[in-house]
Amino acid sequence: MTAQPQPVPDSALIERMMAGDEAALSTLYDRYSAMLFGMLMRILRDQQAAEEVLQDMFLQLWRNAAQFDAKRGSLPAWLMVIGRNRAISRLRGRRDREVLEEEEGDYANTFASGQNIEDEAVRAELARNISAALEQLPAEQKQAVELAYFEGMTQSEIANRTGTPLGTVKTRVRTAMQTLRQILG
Amino acid sequence: MTSAHANPDDLDLYALGALDGEDKQALESHLHACPHCQQQLAAARQRTALVGLAAPAVTPRPQVKSALMDKVQAEKRSPAPQSDPLKTRKKRWGLRFSFGFGLATALLAFATYELAKQDLGRGRQLKQLQAQIAQDAAALQAMGQVTGAPDSAVIALLQQPGGPQGQAHVLYNARMGLAVYSGQIAPAPADKSYQLWLVPASGSPVSAGLVDANQQNGAVVVRLTPGLAAKAFAVTLEPLGGRPQPTGPMVLVGATS
Repeated sequence: MTAQPQPVPDSALIERMMAGDEAALSTLYDRYSAMLFGMLMRILRDQQAAEEVLQDMFLQLWRNAAQFDAKRGSLPAWLMVIGRNRAISRLRGRRDREVLEEEEGDYANTFASGQNIEDEAVRAELARNISAALEQLPAEQKQAVELAYFEGMTQSEIANRTGTPLGTVKTRVRTAMQTLRQILG
Repeated sequence: MTSAHANPDDLDLYALGALDGEDKQALESHLHACPHCQQQLAAARQRTALVGLAAPAVTPRPQVKSALMDKVQAEKRSPAPQSDPLKTRKKRWGLRFSFGFGLATALLAFATYELAKQDLGRGRQLKQLQAQIAQDAAALQAMGQVTGAPDSAVIALLQQPGGPQGQAHVLYNARMGLAVYSGQIAPAPADKSYQLWLVPASGSPVSAGLVDANQQNGAVVVRLTPGLAAKAFAVTLEPLGGRPQPTGPMVLVGATS
């Protein structure tokens, strides 16, 4: 039996990028582009727009690799947050989420170390668990979480969109997030 | 909220972007002074980010990666052009923009100081002002990058026949993906918004966000996709909040060349 080669850690690839190694960027793109593009497509529902955001994110990663502190955070989670913010800003014509908050690299230092999703198998299993968890939520809870995550709505906006009292929406979102928190750890 | 730690539910909702109103303000006030909850928020951010994994992975077209790697190669090969035909005009605009932001920042700093003197209980107002100052300072930094770059361009946006009166300028650097907008237009109707667009050499217009009618003394810095060649910039009148693609009449237009 032959042991599977271990994937090169994100932290090592980041260091190589900082030294100008384009192959490291290529590896990170291959590792995370499908995950990110799926999310971007879900938010934007526009292939060209999603492609532009995706390319822009990796170009920013290349230019600002030094901003990311791999010891203190998860690169895919950082990419997911930035990608989501950019996509929602574009979707809603809002600049407030994206204009300057990414620039200083603060995000990189605000993430606690979490689940290791550098490994594709771990990532795939986590994705299955999250999808399953969302499917198991009552329909109205699932809708509330999806409106918040994929359309960037606040609780008040969800209440307006669905014609539901704000208090009810708050309860739905909180309950849903409690369930997801148990799964996501 | 000031003595006890934040509710984990609130942290999750804040990380998700769903918290609003007084709940959000109260949490932000608490976070400001609580390192423990700041750490908990970090974990919540990572956790909620992963909700996006529920969207099925989709492999992008190979051309996307090719274009990305081409841009990376191009950036490594070619530094910014040295010719600087726009230097004089840019300097003037740079000073004007910088003055506007500098003045705004100084006023906000003074207001913050005065509030601090008058009433410590106005912590919420202070925090909002501090956030505004930080945003302006970061905007100023981004603006400095654009005005100082030799490959930035100034585009004059002119009013259209039959449209509202107005005039604006955009400082744009395609390599950085940064645009700085400043201008003044007749006020929009209450149910409408002015929206700025980058019109690329090919393809659909790209939203650069909403702009206020009077943006004369407080320029807006917009981050766009780097490398996007602009044929023109335009301001349109859109339904309140803007639209993903232009639907209303063009109010101001300016070509890049």
